[in-house]
Parts: sequence; C-alpha cells; structure tokens
Amino acid sequence: MLEYLLISLAGLAGSMHCVGMCGGFACILGRDRRGRAATLARHLTYNLGRVTTYCFLGAAAGALGVMMSGGVTGLAQRTLAAGSGLLMLYFGLQFLGLWRDAARSVPGPGGEALAGALRQLVRAPGVGAPLALGALNGFLPCPLVYAFLAQAVASGGSLPGVLVMAAFGLGTFPAMLAMGGVGLWLRRGAERGGVVVVSASAGALLARPDWRQMSVRIAGGFIVLLGVITLARGVLPMDAHLHGL
Amino acid sequence: MNPAASCSHCLLPVGRLGQQREVNGEPHAFCCYGCCLAYQVHHGEREEPQAALLLIRIGAGAFLAMNIMLFTLLMYSGTFGAADDAAVHLVHWVLWILASALMAVLGGPFIAGAWRAALAGQVTSDTLVSVGSLAAYGYSAWQVWSGSGAVYFDTVTMVLLLFTLGRYLEALGRVRAARSLAPMLAAERAEVRVMGESGEALRPVCEVGPGALVRILPGERIAVDGVVLEGRSECDESVLTGQAQPQAKAPGLHVHAGSLNGAGQLLVRASAAGGATRWVQMSRRVREALARKSLLGQTVDRLAAVFVPAVLLLAAGVLWYWSARAPFDEALLTALAVLVVACPCSLGLAAPLSTTLGIGLAAQRGILLRSGGVLEKLARIKAIALDKTGTLTEGRPQVLQVAAHGATESEVLAHAASLASASGHPLARAIAAAGRAASAGVAREVQAIPGAGLTGRACGRPAALGSAAFMTAQSWQMPADWPASPEGCTLVYAGWEGRVRGRIALSDRLLPDAAALVRALRERGLPLLLLSGDREAAVARAATALGIAAWRSELMPEDKVGALRDWTRRHGPTAMVGDGLNDGPVLAAAEVGIAVGGAADLARESADVVLPERASRQLPWVLHLAAHVRASIRANLAWALGYNVVALTLAACGLLQPIFAAGLMAGSSLVVVGRSLNARRGVEATAPPAAAAVESVAAG
Repeated sequence: MLEYLLISLAGLAGSMHCVGMCGGFACILGRDRRGRAATLARHLTYNLGRVTTYCFLGAAAGALGVMMSGGVTGLAQRTLAAGSGLLMLYFGLQFLGLWRDAARSVPGPGGEALAGALRQLVRAPGVGAPLALGALNGFLPCPLVYAFLAQAVASGGSLPGVLVMAAFGLGTFPAMLAMGGVGLWLRRGAERGGVVVVSASAGALLARPDWRQMSVRIAGGFIVLLGVITLARGVLPMDAHLHGL
Repeated sequence: MNPAASCSHCLLPVGRLGQQREVNGEPHAFCCYGCCLAYQVHHGEREEPQAALLLIRIGAGAFLAMNIMLFTLLMYSGTFGAADDAAVHLVHWVLWILASALMAVLGGPFIAGAWRAALAGQVTSDTLVSVGSLAAYGYSAWQVWSGSGAVYFDTVTMVLLLFTLGRYLEALGRVRAARSLAPMLAAERAEVRVMGESGEALRPVCEVGPGALVRILPGERIAVDGVVLEGRSECDESVLTGQAQPQAKAPGLHVHAGSLNGAGQLLVRASAAGGATRWVQMSRRVREALARKSLLGQTVDRLAAVFVPAVLLLAAGVLWYWSARAPFDEALLTALAVLVVACPCSLGLAAPLSTTLGIGLAAQRGILLRSGGVLEKLARIKAIALDKTGTLTEGRPQVLQVAAHGATESEVLAHAASLASASGHPLARAIAAAGRAASAGVAREVQAIPGAGLTGRACGRPAALGSAAFMTAQSWQMPADWPASPEGCTLVYAGWEGRVRGRIALSDRLLPDAAALVRALRERGLPLLLLSGDREAAVARAATALGIAAWRSELMPEDKVGALRDWTRRHGPTAMVGDGLNDGPVLAAAEVGIAVGGAADLARESADVVLPERASRQLPWVLHLAAHVRASIRANLAWALGYNVVALTLAACGLLQPIFAAGLMAGSSLVVVGRSLNARRGVEATAPPAAAAVESVAAG
C-alpha cells in the first residue's frame, strides 16, 4: 500500500510539471453553461479520460513485463525489476535537476501534431469532447508517465500495472482540477475587468517558477526512492526486508 | 455529386463514392473518410461544434477501446480466478456494452461507407472492415448472451481503431503528395482585394473584371494579370516560367497571376478578367490531369474491383473450411484475419500518389502534364524528335535584311508587317516587330496556311507572305535575281497583286542551353532527330552546331508527321518537342507531344506536356521525373501485391491473429504512402539548379 501512496504523492508533486502542458488544456477547458455541477462534470470527464489512458498503458506495460519475464518470480523478473529501477532512477535524477535535458523535453513532431489537434477539442462543447481530449491527452509524451510505466513493467502483472498508473493518475487529479478552477477564476476575473490582478495572483499561486521547480524536485525525489525500491527488488536477495512495500 | 469536384482536403477528384459534409458551415466534398477526418483536424480552428466532431469520435473511440483492452488484459492475465465465474460474466457484459458504443462511434463511418458502396453496386475496403467487425461483434454478443466464454470484443476494437488511424494517416500522406499542387489548384478559388468606391472588399477572382484596382499584400499570391500602379516589389514567377530568380516589379510593369509577391505591397490595375488568366487555365488543366486515370491506374482499378469480392469469397471459404476442422470461434477469427489483412488501399494508393506527386512537382516548375498517363508514356520513349525554331533556337528571329524588287524596302516591310501582325508565328512576329515603324495597320481577310504562309488584304491590296514554295504554289511571279543573303538565314517573300516584290532575311540564334539540352538527351541514350520547316542551310547549320546527325528540313506539317512516323518505326516510341502553329499535327501524332511555352494555342491543345517559354532545358528533368515516377509505381505495386499474397496466405492458414492482421494492414498502407513520398526526395535531389533554388525559396 505504501508504494501506491508514494506513487500518488509523486504524482501530486509531479503534476506541477504537468501545469506547463496538460494544465494548459485543463485551464482553457472552461466552464459549462449549465452550471457549476456541469462544469465540474466536464473537468472530471476530462481527467477520467486521462487516467483511463494511464491505466490502459499500465495494464499493457504490466502484461508486457509478464510476457518478457514469464512470471512474478525468477531471474528474468529480477532482471526486469533492476532494469526498470535504473530507468526510474534516470528519470528521477532528471527531475532532481542532475540531467536537465529530458525533463524539459519538448514533444517531437508527432507529439506536436497531437497537441495541435487537442487544442481544437478544448473548445468543443458536449460530453464527448472532454473525454476525447483526456483520452488523447494521456498519450502526450511526458517523462513522468514514462517513469511510472517503467515501474508498471516491473510490477509483475496487468492489475498491479493498472494500480501503479491509477495511483499516479489520482495523484495528478488535484492539481489538474485546480488548474481548471484557476482557469475559471481567470475568466471570471476577465469578465469583471480585473484581469491583470487576478491573473498575476493566480499565476503566482500555481505557476511560480520557483514553486514549480521545487515541487518537480520533490517528485524527482519520490521517483528516485521508488526507483531504488524497484531496483532493490531485482538486486537484493529474495528475503530482504522489503515485504512491507 | 459531381465526381470531378475536388476533395477539400487532398484536392484530388472525389470520384463516385465521394461524400458531402458541412464543415465550419461551408459545404465540402471529400474523397474518403480519412480526408474528411484529416480536414476537420486541420481546419477546425473556428469554434463551430462540427469542427472537432470527428476528432471527438477518435478520442471517444480510443477511450472505449482502452477500457475494453484494459478489462481484456486483466481477464487474460488471470486477475479473475477460476472461481470468479460471476465476475467474469459481469466483465463480459461490461465489455459488450462498451463494444456496442464503440461499434457506433468508430464502426459507424465504415458501415455507412460500405452501405453507400453497396447502393452503388460496389464492394470496397469499407465492406471488408464492416463485414469483419460486424461478424466478430455479433458472434461475441451471442456468446455473452448464451453465457459462454469466447468473446472477441478486443479484436473488434483494435481492428476498428487501427483502421480509423490508418485512414487518417493515409489522408495525411495524400495531402503531402498534393501539397506542391496547392498554388496551382488555388487559382479558381482565390480571393482578391478589390479597391472600390466603398473601400476594400474581398471578391472571388472570377468576378474581377479588367480595370479593377487590386491591392496585393507582401507574400501573397497574385491572382490577376495587370499593371503595377503603385509600389515596388519582387515577384517569384516560377510557377509560370520555371525561373527561380525573382522579377523586379515597379509602377508600369506587368504582374502575372500565379506569381508570388515579395516583400513590397502593390496596387495593380487588372488587365484581363480574373477568370481568363494563364494561371486559371493552367489550374484547370492540372485539375483535368488529376482527374484522368493513367493506364496503369486503370489496370490497378480493375484489379482492385476484382480484389475485394475475391477477398470476401476467400474469407467465406476459409470460414467454411476451418469450421469443419476447428472450433467455430477459431474459424471465425481466421476468416476475420483474412478480411482485415487484405489491403486494397495499398493497391489503390500506389499509382495515384506517385502520379499526383509527379504532376505536382512538374507544376511547381511551370511544367504542365496532361495526365498521369503522360508520365508513364514518357518513361517508355526511345527517341526524341525536336523542332528547331523556339525549341533549340530563340524562336525570336530578327529581320537582318530586306531586299526589294520593283518596290521600296519600306513598302515591302509595310505590306509584310501588315499581314504578319495577324499571325502568332515567330517569323511573322519578327516581321511585324520590324515593320512597326511603317505603321501599316493589320491586314484584313487573312488566311494562314500552316508552315507555308499568309494571304490577305494589306494596304488595300491582295497580298501574300511566305516561303518561296508557297509563293510558287500561289503561282505568283517570282523574280530570279535577288542579292546574296546572309549565311543560314531564313528567307520569307512578300508580294502583292500577283507579284513577289520583296525578300526578308531573318536569322534565329541558338538558345544558350540548347547544346546542354542535346548533350543531356544524348546521354540518356535517345536518338535525336531535328525536324524543321526552315530552309536546308539554316537547319544544317543548327544541326552541325549542336552535333545532331539526323535532320530534315523544309518540311510541311504533314511531312513532319511522316518523318516522325519513320523515326518511330526505326527507333521506337518517340516524343516530339515543338513550338508554333505548324507543330500541332506532329505533336498530336507523336507518342508524347511536348510543347515549349508561348506555343500557339493549337499546339498546346495537342500537346501532352507544356514547358514554360524558353525552358526546353527542363526536358531531361521531366524525363527523369517520369522514369522515377514509373519506378516508384512499379515498386509500390510489386510491394502491395507481394504483401497481399503473403499476408492473405498466412491469414487463410490461420497463422495470423486478427489484431496483428489489422496492424499489418495499416502498416502496409503506410509503407506505400511513405515510399511514394520518399520518391519525391529522389527526384528533388536531382532537380536542375534553377528548380532547386525554387525549392529552397519555398522552404525558406
């Protein structure tokens, strides 16, 4: 259980990283004319789509891991865990700021095309649009997602894989919902004419560079910790005292 | 719906199975579902609800598909133990519900397409997908209903998702193939900023008449022919002339529709109706060329028309065969694999993509091709016949000497110029230009005898202008004692009232690129023949200078056709490169008729290829393009046929999972698209320097 909690916390801290890209979508997804509940439903639908994609990727990664290692125990599984752990360490250390390049990675041509297409979905009304937006959004290239997918591969099955990614996805929920809220707040502010003040304070709240950097580092710390645990599963003797995790 | 209408996305003709959709409140025609999808994705910036509809379809489909795959993965990985029968059954019901929604969201367009085709008495790849996915879905639903375990909703899901994605990517490929055609095809749809009394207004180009004031912004494509009133700029006229160097434009100079304005803003007075410019005519011609199926394309179409029903039969046969030897669900999956692995798209895409690319690359250099079939024919030619005037020489002869006999030189020139100004022949134009000072006015009742001469009433008298043979044929009296003429000149005689009274000597210079052209053609191993209606001495001089061994002179248009036929008998299919009124018949008679721009209208009508004025140097590049396109089509066809044979065999033997089959299918389409687009790189790498410069300007 502790492991899933750690993943959620990493997701929570790491979602500050998402504010840059996915947050933009959440921010302009906007308000439903039918009222507050409908607006909330709209944002929940978007996040449902996003988390569904993560869960699917998790299940696929878990199944892939089982296919590669042939089971939950044995040498192959341990090798896989060690590999996944190293991969997670690589991503985690990037978030910690030891390698700057990949954490800032911009989407490639494919990712850009996807992002461009998503921008059009943002403004479309109806239930389908936020769902589609969320589902496709989940496929945008993101080092956070890659890190946890690496863990899902080593998790030893489809269900644990789903749980890893679900925990991560739930961890990103609050920040993404909050971004939606800030988006609304910004718009209301704009309607009242207080654009400058409101946007400045909202921007300061969620997108202050130092805040973002700090929370991204915290996420990096969590990922490194999880990476070490995964690595340990592969490297340490079977009976090491990691049963609690 | 009009099959010749062009698809809003890829600009190719929509064909008989085209669809009509409204996007952003405007009616659009699409040739296929993929193009419709891609168009919406790329043009949906406006906040119309329809804009994102199809993208929502994909996204929502992906959401459903991922849920189905997730539950299926969990089930396969044994998350629900053997004891959890109730749970498994519940999951089956959930899967059924999700799959039903998915059938509606992603399967709908395919089923609708298959239905449309069925109403037209056809079967298409839509039919294959629809039959396959409906069969698997129906069978799985029945299994859930009867409480049995074999459900294949995941297969249905992946097949539909992969096909939808495949369609989308295919459409993207089509657009890239047709991208170079965009400036050509935009001509009739262009809008123009017209300055009126009530200010500036955007008007369709076809509504712009001569005299309209048009403002042209920097970087804009000019849509009218006209004269600059204000402003200075440089225009890229490569679409019209094939020349990459920008042409300076200042007040008083002409701008041409189709050229690209540079950094300055221009105010232009239109000199012709917007619908009558060369650009619009070229645009119409390119559109026609695209609508014409090439020979190979027609063969492929016939093949594809048989292919789909054959696959349906094969699938039925496979189902029958395996259901007698294996459990029914395995037989069904095998048949499904057969249906989805067959890829008529790669067969159907191979030819049109490459020819579109070829037509587009040519159009970028101002070269017009009558159809994709012309490229195929060009790739097959074994010899070339060239007209001298205008093709190898300037085509703008100059008057060097006027000799008079029983009249003054200015009288001779006045009569000759008066007749000549009624003709577009290069010699006639030179004479008209030389006699402009005499200001004789245009002759009346002019009759042109191609390749020979003109008769009419000039300065109030019956007059004639033409070769010595023509004058003799008219039984006009011909003096014998003319002064010596400069070496290698063309001699034209003028006379009036039954008597030849003057001789005009004209000379034509070789084009600077002529020698290089001849060398390049010879390097391709093509025997060359020089055909000319010109005097023997002039033709001999040009042939010697260029090193062409075979030449014929003083030919009438019919003689040229005869000479060409002889050459064709000896060397195989021959392309004729010509210019001018008298080349019309021979261009039409040749395997491929190539007119060099500025050619009189008749020549253009009978030509298969039109090169820009004085751009015969581009001929080797066109031949290279044709060879490249043909090689690309052949390789693609071989690939597509090979793929289908291997994949269908594997699928029929039950060695392919339907999901892999669908993946393979989508992959094979992509390979064909990718290969066709790659062919472009091969052609551009060997583009002539001028054309390469055009590319870099466009890219910059």
